[in-house]
Amino acid sequence: MQRPTHRWLAGGAVAVATALALTACGSGFSGSGSSDGASGKLTSSDKALTVMIGSSGDAETAAVKSAVSDWSKSDGTKASVIAASDLNQQLSQGFAAKKPADVFYLSTDALAGYASNGSLLAYGDQLSNKSDFYPSLVKSFTYDGKFYCAPKDFSTLQLIINTDMWSAAGLTDSDIPKTWDQLQAVVKKLTGAGHVGLGISGEYARIGSFMTQAGGNLMNEDSTKATANSDANVKALDYVKTLLNDGDLKYAKDLGAGWGGEAFGKGLAAMTIEGNWITGALKSDFPNVKYKVAELPEGPAGKGTLQFTNCWGIAADSPNQAAALKLVEKLTSKDDQLAFSKAFGPMPSIKSAADAWKSANPELVPFLSAADYAKGVPTAKGSADVVTDLNSKLESLATGDPKTILDATQKNLEALLK
Amino acid sequence: MTIGPTASQTANTIAVGALANAQPPVSPRRQRSTGVVVASSITYAILVVLAIIYIAPFLIQLATSFKTDADATANPVSLIPETWTTAAYTKLFINSDFPTWFKNSIIVTLFVTAGRVFFNSLAGYALARLHFRGRGVVFASLVAVMSVPVVVLLIPKFLVINQLGIYDSYAGMIIPLLTDAAGVFIMKNFFESIPASVEEQARIDGAGTFRVFWSIVLPMARPALITIIILSFQGSWNELAHFIVSTQDPSLTTLTKGVAGLASGQLSQGSQYPIKLAAAAIMTIPVAVLFFVFQRRIMNSSEGAVKE
Amino acid sequence: MSKTTSRSRRSGIRRGEAASGWLFTAPVIILLGVFLVVPVLMALWVSFSDWGGRGSPFSSGVNFVGFDNYSAILSGGGLAEQDFGMSLKNNAWYVVLVVPIQTAVALGLAVLVNRAILRGRGFFRTAFYFPSVTSSVAITVLWLFLFSTSGAVNKVLSWFGINGPNWFNDPSGIVHNFLGLFGVKNGPSALTQNSLLGVSWWDWLGGPSVAMSAFVIMAVFTTSGTFMLLFIAALQNLGGDITEAAMMDGANGWQRFWRITLPQLRPTLFTVLTLGLIGCWQVFDVIYTGTKGAPGKTTLTPAYLSYKSSFIDQDWGQGAAIAFILFVVIVVFTIFQRWVLRERGVSKRRMRLYQPSITAADEARTDNADSKGALR
Repeated sequence: MQRPTHRWLAGGAVAVATALALTACGSGFSGSGSSDGASGKLTSSDKALTVMIGSSGDAETAAVKSAVSDWSKSDGTKASVIAASDLNQQLSQGFAAKKPADVFYLSTDALAGYASNGSLLAYGDQLSNKSDFYPSLVKSFTYDGKFYCAPKDFSTLQLIINTDMWSAAGLTDSDIPKTWDQLQAVVKKLTGAGHVGLGISGEYARIGSFMTQAGGNLMNEDSTKATANSDANVKALDYVKTLLNDGDLKYAKDLGAGWGGEAFGKGLAAMTIEGNWITGALKSDFPNVKYKVAELPEGPAGKGTLQFTNCWGIAADSPNQAAALKLVEKLTSKDDQLAFSKAFGPMPSIKSAADAWKSANPELVPFLSAADYAKGVPTAKGSADVVTDLNSKLESLATGDPKTILDATQKNLEALLK
Repeated sequence: MTIGPTASQTANTIAVGALANAQPPVSPRRQRSTGVVVASSITYAILVVLAIIYIAPFLIQLATSFKTDADATANPVSLIPETWTTAAYTKLFINSDFPTWFKNSIIVTLFVTAGRVFFNSLAGYALARLHFRGRGVVFASLVAVMSVPVVVLLIPKFLVINQLGIYDSYAGMIIPLLTDAAGVFIMKNFFESIPASVEEQARIDGAGTFRVFWSIVLPMARPALITIIILSFQGSWNELAHFIVSTQDPSLTTLTKGVAGLASGQLSQGSQYPIKLAAAAIMTIPVAVLFFVFQRRIMNSSEGAVKE
Repeated sequence: MSKTTSRSRRSGIRRGEAASGWLFTAPVIILLGVFLVVPVLMALWVSFSDWGGRGSPFSSGVNFVGFDNYSAILSGGGLAEQDFGMSLKNNAWYVVLVVPIQTAVALGLAVLVNRAILRGRGFFRTAFYFPSVTSSVAITVLWLFLFSTSGAVNKVLSWFGINGPNWFNDPSGIVHNFLGLFGVKNGPSALTQNSLLGVSWWDWLGGPSVAMSAFVIMAVFTTSGTFMLLFIAALQNLGGDITEAAMMDGANGWQRFWRITLPQLRPTLFTVLTLGLIGCWQVFDVIYTGTKGAPGKTTLTPAYLSYKSSFIDQDWGQGAAIAFILFVVIVVFTIFQRWVLRERGVSKRRMRLYQPSITAADEARTDNADSKGALR
């Protein structure tokens, strides 16, 4: 190799530094802390709106597109809908590029992260229909004391029963379990050749319903305190562990299914614990399965289940927040929510739509009844990771020790709150 | 490729290049004794079994793409579907954005391949033949760049692309891929192996540097260029990480990104194997075709001299 | 390096060469500089800062935080450290299994194919190399199907009476499973109580999970073909004379392979191992397409963790830090492998074995020299 003279090394370093400086002084680097709609003032322009959603399928995409275009026609602002293939990643990139979607699905998991780095507009208090939302849902989307976004819908978990297998085991409506002991007896009766009594996804998002029935949960209502290793939770996990070891409860993965709904649809489980979304999945993939929805049994502390919800987030960097707010108000109105519910399943997030929904879906009423006692999942920043970790431990619950598992989770959650 | 783009590129580079330059084997003279015949039959048997193991997955893939969902789950190994159905392909081409993905992959791959052929040969020629101060430094930095793992670049490349304003555009997908260090390496090594006499002659006749390069040296570089074409096509067709970070618009999705999304079940619920396998199969066809067409040309050069 | 050319490069026919040289290499320098060098430097800055993911990392709101991100990953005691430890463990086992197996398989295939008669050789070579041509995304989709619970692989295993595991959904380590066959269910407390990077030693030694093993098999399947080509080329470049001489001396096939062929393949072996190491430590595509770290975080790799920390958890500083630590790991492993495989002199023990023949040869030489000298 020829002797690289010092001159050339220096020249190389200068070149690199210049390149860096150029990119630093280039167009996009005007990152001087831009005002993000402070003091409640919304940005307004005539720019078209982009709506990004994480769709569960064609039905949902079509429903949202139709609702958005209806608004667009009446309001006069152009709007387009993008179905993201990886919602979190695309949102992240949008925020980092300072060119985010204007309106987007926001999950309870993602709220804390984006709220804390200033990507979101906290517009909750400016909603005209603010008082119509269920209080527990509003709490799920309150971060740091601010109500950030309008809940767009919600689902709760209840017990789904295969009516054919139910009657084949000699059970009737009066046998629908109301307590944990009754549930234990029923799953034993239902376990038979080729199918297990209860098949669920082995994760907190399902097993947590038992925790709420025992009076516990991973965190308190506004996710400011960690309660993972409470006695109630230990009791709940002990109960699930007993069912697992009896062989009457199996995880969907162990049955060869991707989730509880698939195990149920394939006839591998006589019952499952799932949310509203199962109706659409069963209709399209397993139309011949006859099922019934029943309320989950009461635990030592009474009724309990988990609820899942998403909201319509509005970006702080959106150039047309005023129009975005109007769009969200329309999308959370009674008519739109009922239309969405009809198309792909979840329940309206506003109290005024409850009666209409109940009469349109008489067999799904148990899902909505849960609105009174359902608890949300943790929303502290980083809690999604802790839940993933908990889920990996729950996979070996049958041979593990609930107290140890929950102690570790408690430790992780407390670390988040420091 | 599981071993990462840069490393696998280098591996493929050396492999394909080595094959083109390999000497034909010199087999020691053998008497055709029974011992030898038995030995070669055993070798053959082992090879056949191994070949079946290597080819079987793809045959299963093809067969499954013509099955119904239920059939695919019930009879995973059978190579003949119970009922032949092209439902998967219909859904793919009509009810999804598959054609868009295909179109995007083609656009990007064509531009990247053309770009790499041009830029890599230019740089390779300069490093091999032209004397200019700093040539050593450029070469050394090329080697250094080749050893940077791809994962380090994932996040910051996104930031750079964003800052340059080419995020979410064809430019952002194509420009960063227009050249690669491994390709420059191949071209440089190749040019060094050509005798300089022809160029010298052209120089004496008064041709400029670029003229010499373009009209005289480049045509002589056919084998190396073919190698670059194959590797560039393969590399950009199969690229995933770069497209994840450089685009978000669904109309810019390429085959890799689209099929990866399919695999995680975005397009439909449940495990719909036939459609996923059909997508994967179609995705493989162009690269496979290119491979088969060109590999004969490369392998030929090393087999021609063997006497049996 | 290049053949020597005339030194008169500044005048006559070499006029303007310097300018052309820079012009020709300019596109490559610019492109690689902007899209490779600058990003690396940017990432380095992000790993030492608290950039949150919004706007530019060089803006005024972003602060230098020293080694905070690195220490959170390496010693924080929280989930970040645990996840990183887990990902390192998974990837380390992956490397330990894939690199030797794929090298051995590639070498084996090369030796076999090299021996086959001409007509079959091309077909076999193509068959073994074809998987390497396909994209990792396509292969992962295929693998998810083949290794599903009721998939092809388990069906074939059932023909031999083996109950196949739940492959991609099974997080148990294969070493743990193996020990479980002998009734060893829980490790000794010395191993379970102490941990490195948040993962207990018992878990470190637990081997890759069954899910990761499916990825190991996929890696061998897709890369053995490429390395097979390298070995074939190297084998074809070996002269036949040494092998013939060894045959003359009575060495059997096995000895010929180990003592003659293999040492001569050292450079290629070296290349294959280096490329294998570098590649295996960067597993990302297949995890992103396939399991995304599940089940139980046993298919989490540092590369995927880096992506997830940044893009999904918005922990950009940590994500960048993970990437650089991975860089260091790769460099260390490569250097280590270089050192292990370095050329060493013949060991003293071997020397003594050959001593008689060397002494005899010496004596013969000196005898000849004496007689020659005497003749003068």
